[in-house]
Amino acid sequence: MRNLINLILRYSALILFLLLELASFILIVNYNKSQKEIWAHSSNLLTGNIFEKVEGVQGFFDLQEVNDSLIAENGKLLETIINYRINSKNNSFQRFEEKNTVYNYNLIPARICNKTLNLRNNYLTLCKGSLDSLEVGMGVISNNGVVGIIKAVSRDFATVLMVINSESRISAKVTSKNYSGNLVWDDSDMRILSLLEVPKHAEISVGDSIGTSGYSIIFPPDIHIGRIKDYTLAGGSNNFNIKVEMEQDISTLEYVYVIKYLKSSEKDTLLQLENG
Amino acid sequence: MDKIWQRNIIRAFFILLVQLVLLKRIDITFGDFNYIHFTIYPLIIVLLPYKTNKTLLVLIGFLIGLFVDLFYDSLGVHAFTTTFIAYIRVYVLNLLSPTEGYGKNSLTSYAYGIPWFLTYLSIILLMHLLVLYSIEAFSFVYLKEIILRTIFSFIASLFLLTIVQLLFNPKY
Repeated sequence: MRNLINLILRYSALILFLLLELASFILIVNYNKSQKEIWAHSSNLLTGNIFEKVEGVQGFFDLQEVNDSLIAENGKLLETIINYRINSKNNSFQRFEEKNTVYNYNLIPARICNKTLNLRNNYLTLCKGSLDSLEVGMGVISNNGVVGIIKAVSRDFATVLMVINSESRISAKVTSKNYSGNLVWDDSDMRILSLLEVPKHAEISVGDSIGTSGYSIIFPPDIHIGRIKDYTLAGGSNNFNIKVEMEQDISTLEYVYVIKYLKSSEKDTLLQLENG
Repeated sequence: MDKIWQRNIIRAFFILLVQLVLLKRIDITFGDFNYIHFTIYPLIIVLLPYKTNKTLLVLIGFLIGLFVDLFYDSLGVHAFTTTFIAYIRVYVLNLLSPTEGYGKNSLTSYAYGIPWFLTYLSIILLMHLLVLYSIEAFSFVYLKEIILRTIFSFIASLFLLTIVQLLFNPKY
């Protein structure tokens, strides 16, 4: 304490000098118009710059939120297109516009938490679960392709059996010709699927578009999957083995949409009745 | 209170009177050229006794500056400047220390000679004017104006102060 007082006494001139200069400065800035303006302006430049930087960082952290909202919006649009496509086949466009009940499919956007790509049986985990009304058996699509089918659901997460899983079987067809078959993956190439059970009399050619058939309750019809890369006919077989190149690159996916078929319970009851 | 302080106080009042009543009104302008302003009140700080306490010196500087500010309607500008020169005075004096040291308490030309006194006065005055006009402009955008104003005011003020010094040649 004594030392401190000594120190203050020794440097009293300097301390007083600094204090008085500060006081003068405050007086200048507060009581002189032009200096005040210059001071305010240059301090604005400084703080403005800082605020801009902070805003930039903030924006970076907000990206996740922005992405989520964009994906939700995207999902809505895709949902509209899917439902419109189904309805426009049967009815006119006006009918679709008029009636609300015509919505057969809902799209639930979801972020991918985790995925495996290099195994024989590949799964991905969604960051949404039963809390967001995800259920086992729902189809999962991306912007331009089919991703897989939900295999298990917990409260906050869902596991998706991807199309690049050896157990995956998806009903698909050659869009323009309506020949349908099962789409499987023979674990050779991440982007190549095989469409089996297309009869050998089918007139197909390389480059034909492949989409979902819509026969199952999992996927709506005409979700684009990919194009025919080439096709072979094994000796003695009645069916083509068609190699389909997927449009999407599953390894880069970040967001997907889960398809909720609104009439699934109706269809389920019917199936149950059928079974006895 | 000894004689040297009495003289200093009387001189301070006189200088402030001349500065604030007379010199403030003198406005030398030729068209765009208005860089001449007489500033003599730094002489108060310059002539304060050598042995003045540093802290007291700073305080006196601030008060004189504030007093001038009240008349110039520029609260803080002169206070800032005068505080500054009051603080650096001791360093200027150390720089200009005569070979035999500061034997006499009063820092006049009578005591230390005209060349020494003019050097000392010039340095303080130049610093005073430079800081004053920089603070007045408050931005280095006006660097040209600051320098011109400093130079011309310096010449005019130094001229005036030299005449006064030669005329009165105060002992204390």
